[in-house]
Amino acid sequence: MPILILIVMAIGFAVVNTVATHLLGPGRGGQAKESTYESGMNPFGSARRRFNVRFYILAMTFLVFDVEIIFLYPWAVTYTKMDPGSAEAMLYLGRILFFIGTSVIAYIYAWRKGVFRWD
Amino acid sequence: MADRLLLLLPELVLFAGAVLVAVAGLSPRREIRRALPGITAGFLLVAMAAVAFVHSGERAAVAAVLTPMPALTGWVRLATCGIAALLSLLTVGTIDRRLEADVQAGRLDFNPLMAGRGEFHAFFLLSIIGLLLCTSATDLIWLFVALELTSLPTYVMVAMSRPSRRAQEAAMKYFFLGALSAAIFLYGFALLYGATGTLIFSEMSAAFAAQRAGDGIPLVANVGLVLAIVGIGYKIAAVPMHFYAADVYEGAAAPVTAFLGYVPKAAGAVAMLIVLGAVGWEGGLPEPVLTTLWMSAVLTMTLGNIGALLQKSVKRMLAYSSIAHSGYLLIGIIAGPGLGITAVILYLVAYGVMNTGAFAVLASLERRGREIEDVEDLAGLRHRHPALAVALALCAGSLLGFPPLLGFVGKLYLFIAGVEAGQVLLVVIGAINSAISAWYYLILVGVPILGAPTARSETVDAVPSRWPRVAAVLAAVLVVLLPIVAARLAPRIDAGTAVRAAPDPASAAAARR
Repeated sequence: MPILILIVMAIGFAVVNTVATHLLGPGRGGQAKESTYESGMNPFGSARRRFNVRFYILAMTFLVFDVEIIFLYPWAVTYTKMDPGSAEAMLYLGRILFFIGTSVIAYIYAWRKGVFRWD
Repeated sequence: MADRLLLLLPELVLFAGAVLVAVAGLSPRREIRRALPGITAGFLLVAMAAVAFVHSGERAAVAAVLTPMPALTGWVRLATCGIAALLSLLTVGTIDRRLEADVQAGRLDFNPLMAGRGEFHAFFLLSIIGLLLCTSATDLIWLFVALELTSLPTYVMVAMSRPSRRAQEAAMKYFFLGALSAAIFLYGFALLYGATGTLIFSEMSAAFAAQRAGDGIPLVANVGLVLAIVGIGYKIAAVPMHFYAADVYEGAAAPVTAFLGYVPKAAGAVAMLIVLGAVGWEGGLPEPVLTTLWMSAVLTMTLGNIGALLQKSVKRMLAYSSIAHSGYLLIGIIAGPGLGITAVILYLVAYGVMNTGAFAVLASLERRGREIEDVEDLAGLRHRHPALAVALALCAGSLLGFPPLLGFVGKLYLFIAGVEAGQVLLVVIGAINSAISAWYYLILVGVPILGAPTARSETVDAVPSRWPRVAAVLAAVLVVLLPIVAARLAPRIDAGTAVRAAPDPASAAAARR
């Protein structure tokens, strides 16, 4: 029974909010507001254009390094607080070097595969 | 930490191999690309030596502390590296065959973007690493990641195995159903975590022991275990998660089918043993779990064998036979410690060898560059390729469980384990199923040896590469010779099958680092 009440409340909350926004919102339109959001750039052309598959491969390569940075930041913050000579610090250093090593291999692989060749 | 790294030495060796192979596959030099299966096999043999090194002398005791069931970590890893080395011989010349032929004839410049051989062998090794990691899983997260590492590369391998729409369809089916199964057993794992409050198997078994002593194992834990078993059942193609097997096995090229027959199956069996080890067989498995396993074993054996009877395609027949063999494996998994786990390990090894042998024969034969399909294509194989015909007959006889071949030894241990565990009815059903399976295995023995060549089978030729044939002959030799070794190995495997009780907190903490 409490679950049923929760379900009704959850659905009701969503419905009420959506309806209320429609009824109460001022609803001012305009060309700038109704155009597609492209991270601040002015949109041009159709969104259904085809891209060369190279863009996607390059984007995936970018992701490898993007994710690497995400891991490097917290690592760098913790590592500076450690005693550089201690065994634990060496372990942490070894782990991150291994991690960087794997992405370097990924880079070599992508380079050999010809991802960066643009002719 | 250092102990743990030493234990994972074989995996690290294979990882280095996977990286090397992936990059070397893009080399513009043809000799390097040709050597890839050999390099893969080489790394697998080094990893085999590393397993032997890690589990010998004083290091064996250290390894035993860090793993849930020492016998699994030692013997399954050793056997897997060996069987995988055999499997890598099958792949020679299959991947990128058309591309390499075009490059060699000068019709095409070598373009790394189009080559897939390096990636294929890298995925091959990564999947093996997943299986090896499964054997030493100490917690649910590790087990899940290892299981997925085993499975994910196989989806790509199926799609890459041959340039046909059927391979891609098979890969699609395999991937989506695999994702479904992963969701099911992951939900089971989540419920197990909820029921015991821990992810670590040793602590989990302590929690289960406390629950058994108290009010009994709660419903949540039972549901979790059943979901985990059903989900992992996908990996071993056990009912109710068996339906993909025939289509996927048929769609993939024969070397990849051989791979699918052993690697995911071994990973699934190992994972089931480890998960059930957390509950413990002592005092009986919980009633719902036992019922699920029992029903699954009976249905898997029966449906597998009856399905195989109806097939004309050799690969579909072997796919259903693979389902049936999972049913036999489940007898050992139900029986548990004592002989059960030993029997499962021995059976995995036996099945790996004979399955690889049977598919090696299929991988060695072709008609105008396409794989053979029907049993008829094998008629009178003895006249044209006597070694292949004998190898197929030996492997099929072994799959049937014909004494004194390897499959007989494996089945014998499973059935003895079943009887000792009090599952007489299950063993009787297993024996009846073995008798049913004789029908279609004897076709595989009889047609190549006794059958007369037909106009259709005259057009079947051996593939250009000799390595699949070498693998078939090697597997046939092992099928004959390994039974002699198996009897001596069994007690040694048995010594390592005890499920480790909860360790003292200090060493558990050390193991977690």
